[in-house]
Amino acid sequence: MALTQALTIGIDIGGTKVAAGVVDPEGNILDRLRRDTPTKDPRETEDAIADIVRDLESRHDVIAVGIGAAGFVDGTRSSVLFAPHLAWRHEPLRDAVERRLGLPVVVENDANAAAWSEWRFGGGQGESHLVCVTLGTGIGGAILNDGALQRGKFGIAGEFGHMQVVPGGHRCECGNRGCWEQYASGNALTREARELALSGSPVAHNLLRAAAGDPRKINGPMVTELAKDGDPVAVELLEDVGRWLGIGLANLAAALDPGTFVIGGGVSDAGELLLAPAREAFKRTLTGRGFRPEARIVRAVLGPEAGMVGAADLAREEATWLRRVRVKTTAVTAKTAAARGGRSTRLDRAARKSASRRTGMRAAVDPELQPGQLQLNKTAELQGDPEA
Amino acid sequence: MGLTIGIDVGGTKIAAGVVGTDGTIGARAHRDTPANSVDETARAICDAAAELIADHDVEAVGIGAAGFVSSDRSTVLFAPNLAWRDEPLGRRVADVLQVPVVVENDANAAAWGEFAFGAAKDVEHMICVTVGTGIGGGVVIDGELLRGAHGVAAELGHMRVVPGGHRCGCGARGCLEQYASGRALVREGRAQAESGSLAAAQMLSVCGITDPAELTGPMITMAAAAGDPCAVELLDDLGRWLGEGLASFATLFDPSTIVIGGGVSAAKELLLNSAKVAFEKNLPARANRPHPTFGLAELGNDAGIIGAADLARRPAPAQEKAAPQAAQAPEVTAPSDAPGAAAEQPQ
Ligand SMILES: [Zn+2]
Ligand SMILES: [Zn+2]
Repeated sequence: MALTQALTIGIDIGGTKVAAGVVDPEGNILDRLRRDTPTKDPRETEDAIADIVRDLESRHDVIAVGIGAAGFVDGTRSSVLFAPHLAWRHEPLRDAVERRLGLPVVVENDANAAAWSEWRFGGGQGESHLVCVTLGTGIGGAILNDGALQRGKFGIAGEFGHMQVVPGGHRCECGNRGCWEQYASGNALTREARELALSGSPVAHNLLRAAAGDPRKINGPMVTELAKDGDPVAVELLEDVGRWLGIGLANLAAALDPGTFVIGGGVSDAGELLLAPAREAFKRTLTGRGFRPEARIVRAVLGPEAGMVGAADLAREEATWLRRVRVKTTAVTAKTAAARGGRSTRLDRAARKSASRRTGMRAAVDPELQPGQLQLNKTAELQGDPEA
Repeated sequence: MGLTIGIDVGGTKIAAGVVGTDGTIGARAHRDTPANSVDETARAICDAAAELIADHDVEAVGIGAAGFVSSDRSTVLFAPNLAWRDEPLGRRVADVLQVPVVVENDANAAAWGEFAFGAAKDVEHMICVTVGTGIGGGVVIDGELLRGAHGVAAELGHMRVVPGGHRCGCGARGCLEQYASGRALVREGRAQAESGSLAAAQMLSVCGITDPAELTGPMITMAAAAGDPCAVELLDDLGRWLGEGLASFATLFDPSTIVIGGGVSAAKELLLNSAKVAFEKNLPARANRPHPTFGLAELGNDAGIIGAADLARRPAPAQEKAAPQAAQAPEVTAPSDAPGAAAEQPQ
């Protein structure tokens, strides 16, 4: 079996469970498993991951494991610097799981993993400048330029949810006030709906009835369901969230100028009820509107398992390093850089990086090499040598 | 050898220089920017370049211009000060000079200058904000200039920081440049003086003027450097807005270095310190992440010339490498169309 046909496992670590799937190269999930994680202790979570992988491995021939985790994943994609729901601090997750399994492991931010699968298999296919926004309880984000995830210097770029949109606004768990995710996330939708119901307003009658009379039981999916049935208040609540979504997207367009925004996450189940007002607000707040091309805003197509599929696919990328196109590209870039002289050291560095960015692999590239001679040092990668 | 020309097209002046591969400027040429005439501006640019080409063996010309520059690196989609609309500036200049010409956004050019030869020469991820009359932004990710799908990325000055805030020339409200630019500094200074504040009256006398309308940004900076409390406070406010804005940008780009340049950065620590404090206080999840470093730009007014010249030497990334998958050209929607007209329906 060629490596490019091989199966990989994608894992989604949530606050209370670990979900895993065996994924083929076309992004199909062939098998699924899920375990509750009783504690937030990293050791026990790692054990749960190893267990679940061994279980799936007994039925499928897999070559690598990708893990999507909410939180800050470092630039080498090995450690979780900070996970909001898991009390993890500088947790060397990749090495810990690799040690237990003997398989190559990739750790990726969950929103990055979801974005990757939307680019490979979903709503962002073929887009050279893609920005993905995942609306769950919070807001996750990812930037993909020419098919390369933009991770930033420390691995934590694309945290759109904590961009400030209202000075002195709602308090956010990140320590600030007025973050975007306090206005355009599932939590924001729920908060607004509950507030309305608590105010005793008669317009919230249907909402309250759906929640059996208890405002605290109102949740996002309830609002979406009611809105789809035409309840005017639910429609309005989604409109408000959509408007904040569009305002934030206009900000992102000023900074990132993407060709397409893909909107995913649970709240995006509301479809046009959310996206139509978002497009409207985007159009009305975009800087320089009328004098610039505008990005498309579309819904994600892969649903809640996008992160799992993306993590698995990134693990496959990592494991199948022999990519002729990339190798050639890198060699040309490196040669051009060498020929330029003067700043060649720096440009060589950039050339190496552009090779490594594509796959996440740190490739050892000698700028003097001809295309056919190029070597990628996978061994060093598995040993975690940062300068390989 | 390996000389290129960098040209900085400002609202009043066109400054050109011959730049070596080490980023040093040799000969220079200047022209006034003709007011409101597209043809005359293009001619003045050609003039300045031709003067330098006459005495130097030049490979290419890079032009930094304020406004939206298309991803073809030739067409100016829109320039706020220069009455350009979909102007094929690069092609026109290249036709006259008979050398390759690239056009870049001026803030991108300045950012690239600082990245390649200035305050950020040792890093691969940086954000540069140019605080002048307005605010320009430039972002370098993994050693590459961020241009976006259409060429108009990194307009950091037009990120909204105050819902329903001050009206901005870009058509929106509450953009950062309405709070943290030189224009904002002067607006606030004048407003304070007009309100009859004694502190502001003292500031005016330090500046040697009596009419608030005569107040300028450099005057405020000078007064602050002399210790005038009102001027210090004005710059402090400006720095705070800037720092808060940069904290948001850092969540998007995760840079290792943030560089502050432009005319207002002449205030140095008076601006930088409060920006830094506000940044540190507003960086999301600040306790659990590495923080970028902060610095002042090093190349001054030459950053745009040096950056444009160096970018002229470099093909755009898209021209340099093949996309890993068949990436289609980004869809350019005419402004009058709804941006979502081509959007996929939910499945
Ligand atoms: Zn936040
Ligand atoms: Zn603006």
